[in-house]
Amino acid sequence: MMQRLCSCYGHLIGSVTAALIIIMVVFCSGRSVSATETAPLPPERHEYTNVIMISVDILRADHLGAYGYRKGTSPQIDKLAGQSVLFENSIAHSYLTPVAQMIVFTGQYPRQHGMVSFEVTRDQVSKRTLPEILKYYGYETAAVASSPEFFMRYDTESGKIVNPKDIFSRSFDYFGRTMPDETGSTRVNPVAALSWLKANKDKKFFLWIETGMLHPPYSQTVPQPYKSKFDPPGYTPFYDRFPIRLGREVVDGGVPTEALFHVYRGDYYLDFEPIYHLEQKDVDFIRGRYDAGVYYTDMFIGELMNQLDSLQLSGKTLVVFNSIHGESLGEHGYYFHHDVFDTEVKTALMFRFPKNEKGGTRIARQTQGVDILPTILDYLQIPVNHEAQGASMMPLINGDEAGYKGSEYAFIDRLPWWEYVLGGWHLEHQTEREAQYTPLEISRMKGYQALLQEKIGGGQYPPECIAIRTNQWKLILRERHELLENISWWNFISGKKFPVEPVELYDLVRDPREQKNVAREHPQVVEKLKARLLEWDSFNNRNKAAAPLGPLMIIPYP
Amino acid sequence: MSQNGKSHEHDGMLINRREFIKKGAVGAGVVAATMAMPGFMLGKAEAVDLSQLPMKYKDYNVVFVSFDALQAAHVGALGYSRNVTPTIDAMARKGFNFTNNISVASWTVPASMTWFTGVYPSEHRLTNKFSVFNPPNNNVLSNLKKLSPELMTLAEVLKLNGYATGGFTGNAGVNGIFGYSQGFDEYFFEKGKFGSMGVSIPKGLEWLRKNKDKKFFMFLHGYDMHGQNVPDEGFDYRFVEKGYDRKFTGSAAEQEALREEGLATGTVQLRDEDVKFWRAIYDEKIQRTDAKFKKFLEEYKQMGLMDKTIFVLTCDHGTEFHEHKRFDHGFSLYDELIHVPLIITLPKQKTGSVIKDQVSSIDVMPTILELLDVKMPEKAAKQLRGTSLVSGLKGKPVAKDVYFETDYRQYTYKRGIQTKDGWKLVYTLENKTRELYNMKTDPHETKNLVDQEPRRAYELEQKVFAYFKSIGHDLNARQWIPGLNPVYDSQAKGVQKK
Repeated sequence: MMQRLCSCYGHLIGSVTAALIIIMVVFCSGRSVSATETAPLPPERHEYTNVIMISVDILRADHLGAYGYRKGTSPQIDKLAGQSVLFENSIAHSYLTPVAQMIVFTGQYPRQHGMVSFEVTRDQVSKRTLPEILKYYGYETAAVASSPEFFMRYDTESGKIVNPKDIFSRSFDYFGRTMPDETGSTRVNPVAALSWLKANKDKKFFLWIETGMLHPPYSQTVPQPYKSKFDPPGYTPFYDRFPIRLGREVVDGGVPTEALFHVYRGDYYLDFEPIYHLEQKDVDFIRGRYDAGVYYTDMFIGELMNQLDSLQLSGKTLVVFNSIHGESLGEHGYYFHHDVFDTEVKTALMFRFPKNEKGGTRIARQTQGVDILPTILDYLQIPVNHEAQGASMMPLINGDEAGYKGSEYAFIDRLPWWEYVLGGWHLEHQTEREAQYTPLEISRMKGYQALLQEKIGGGQYPPECIAIRTNQWKLILRERHELLENISWWNFISGKKFPVEPVELYDLVRDPREQKNVAREHPQVVEKLKARLLEWDSFNNRNKAAAPLGPLMIIPYP
Repeated sequence: MSQNGKSHEHDGMLINRREFIKKGAVGAGVVAATMAMPGFMLGKAEAVDLSQLPMKYKDYNVVFVSFDALQAAHVGALGYSRNVTPTIDAMARKGFNFTNNISVASWTVPASMTWFTGVYPSEHRLTNKFSVFNPPNNNVLSNLKKLSPELMTLAEVLKLNGYATGGFTGNAGVNGIFGYSQGFDEYFFEKGKFGSMGVSIPKGLEWLRKNKDKKFFMFLHGYDMHGQNVPDEGFDYRFVEKGYDRKFTGSAAEQEALREEGLATGTVQLRDEDVKFWRAIYDEKIQRTDAKFKKFLEEYKQMGLMDKTIFVLTCDHGTEFHEHKRFDHGFSLYDELIHVPLIITLPKQKTGSVIKDQVSSIDVMPTILELLDVKMPEKAAKQLRGTSLVSGLKGKPVAKDVYFETDYRQYTYKRGIQTKDGWKLVYTLENKTRELYNMKTDPHETKNLVDQEPRRAYELEQKVFAYFKSIGHDLNARQWIPGLNPVYDSQAKGVQKK
């Protein structure tokens, strides 16, 4: 500090008389002596480092070139990856957007951070998020989000929080959202971030840029020619050849969500009967439309990175790139995200440090969503919040494998939020509009809804579907597998009973797509992982802990 | 005694003097101030005298006195204006007067055991009266040997070094059944009472007469100042203002009712004159206790033991008189509860020294052991969390950040820190609320600065959690749920578990 002051003064008075300069030098050196006694501290990184977090919803790491995809979907992200430290096995703990991003923002498992449904109140969710902590340290905090999950309680028209339940916008000085495009969707590139950066480049800031473009309907908001860039040549979508609702106007609004919801294990169902078996080109088309979204997102990332360069922010900005969660593209029979498979919980994660420090480093070891907050704070030289359940990955980044205190186990909760939404407003909404369902389906939907509400209504989530993942294994426990079978949407729409196994074990090294359950072949692995998972489960079940204590009240020390 | 007390003084000076001490005035200004105060007697000649003290007292005696529930602000040597502690003040003048000593806890059971184990309450685990609470019949009392079998007590270490050990107490929180008797040859606690020094002192003197020719360690304790004790001879209301309408009489039952009202509602409804009355009652108790202690010292002198003895005068916790709208102690960690006197006199010491550096009651055990230059069993040496204050007696700086905690009747669970530069953060575990005070500008803790100083509050919170984790207590490792786990048997009656 003194050094800088001195040189500054020296510069200012450069043309003044020598006598004055001598006085200044004496003054400065005198102060320097006393300063060394109290050991002047160099400025800490949080005093001068900006943070930008780019969060891409529904992005599968393995659809990026940097993670080995070969279709040219991501030239700009790949370039960013080359400048970054890249995590090859980052696990999100959840396949649900608000749940998973709250993990990133708090460093806590969902049971701890409390963001477990749309119905939770503000007070039920951890307030101490990344932007909250950065505000303590003088950061201007801003967000531009495009997934409605983050602002559906936030009214930008009036500029007010219209519902006190809003959770993500608090702690942000500015919480911007994208406006709907001509298709009516807000899931477009969050380009407002570019203008915010321009206007605020001289502040010390944290900017969160979130995009939900990849969400079904795949490629809905991607403009031509990019929308059909990855289509098989001369292809007509199967859902236009076998429309669910006859006479519906054919417009290319992306791969319709309801069409995807009628596909299970390669069969396209209508009125609970398979009417068509998807061919490879159909699958290629769906995935191509997903890739079109990746490509168009990538173009925006490129624009953003160029802007950082032209605003001369790259040298003093930490860029964190994460996918919030993945997406199942038919690997387990369905499209969408509603289970704990790697397709849905494995994410892309990169840290681009100022001056591209350690750029090109790739870390293969499994890391977790709860580690992201501790890593950012650790890098910025801010004490890591004791409530965070992960560990800083800075030791890994610096090549100190042993110094990393993170768990070798990633724990994943399957919250039945999706079923809950189906049982609640989603089907209600669709039924009212009579949209994309046949009269027969609609007639049976009431019973299905009632079943969902009975089984998982009122926020009474059955927590008995949990998973544990290591570098090599994934164990999934579905204690109430019969219940899961009964309430399965896929079983409903197909009119069949596809069995749900109570225990699944996958060898991620030999079978990264998790196609073959090897639980019977490796009973010892199952036992070991199960014990560890149940230990975590009992320790972290805060809902149970809030219940009255048992008959004995023992002085509560371990 | 009443004619000795400069009765009917107003409390006005209290605040000024107390603030003076808290602010730790230094430099030239202090000279003028010390002239007016009984506790401050530093001068050139004395400094020479102090430097001649050996600071090693192998085989000397120790008398450790706990004046239970003595609030620092009511001690003359710490700036109080009413002359209620002449004997304690005289000891402070000729000894080392630590004016910023902070207790690790705000009630008797956890706070006192820290003197005898040198570890925090979280570690010795006597944080509640019961280790198992399952009313009405299956309650199990806490006991040091059962909860923390690996810990050695101060008395045990001294016994190993050949000391005769005797404890003479007022029972209740320092009941032998909790393990307070561990290491004592003789440990007196009058069953079922918040007993007085009027009983424990004669018992102690009796023991001394038998053991005075040995080297000995004596623990002397009484509840005379505590809300649950009233003088056998009754009050004479020597400090009560004329014209007070006697809404209260000063009884233990009234005091208990006020405490329970505070816990139940968060605020005790009291008029200013009631608070004054209770302070006057408190002062009478303090003055009567001081007189009892004076008699003890006189007898002690007659035994010819003064020059062979180190005295440690202190107290486990203070008590609240409506400073934060409640009554009694244990349920919070405000200064009136954890700022306590600590006076150490060394054999043949003639002149004293005021040490304003902030220290903790966790430092008392290592200080005594270093002064006595005893052989330390490795186990005991390892367990000590505090640091010896002997270097402070030699004039070196010993100021430190101090930590404190209270688990009170399963009503609340609090942990806190006070930094040596005067910032205090208290974290309440069951509801995650935080209080941040600048003790330099706001010694009465009236303005919670959590929102104004979010970064400081955040960093101190991290410090508290990191510290407790470093001593083996991850405060995130369990859910802190308040229930109703009474401390006193009388409160257990009728209480049903939820």
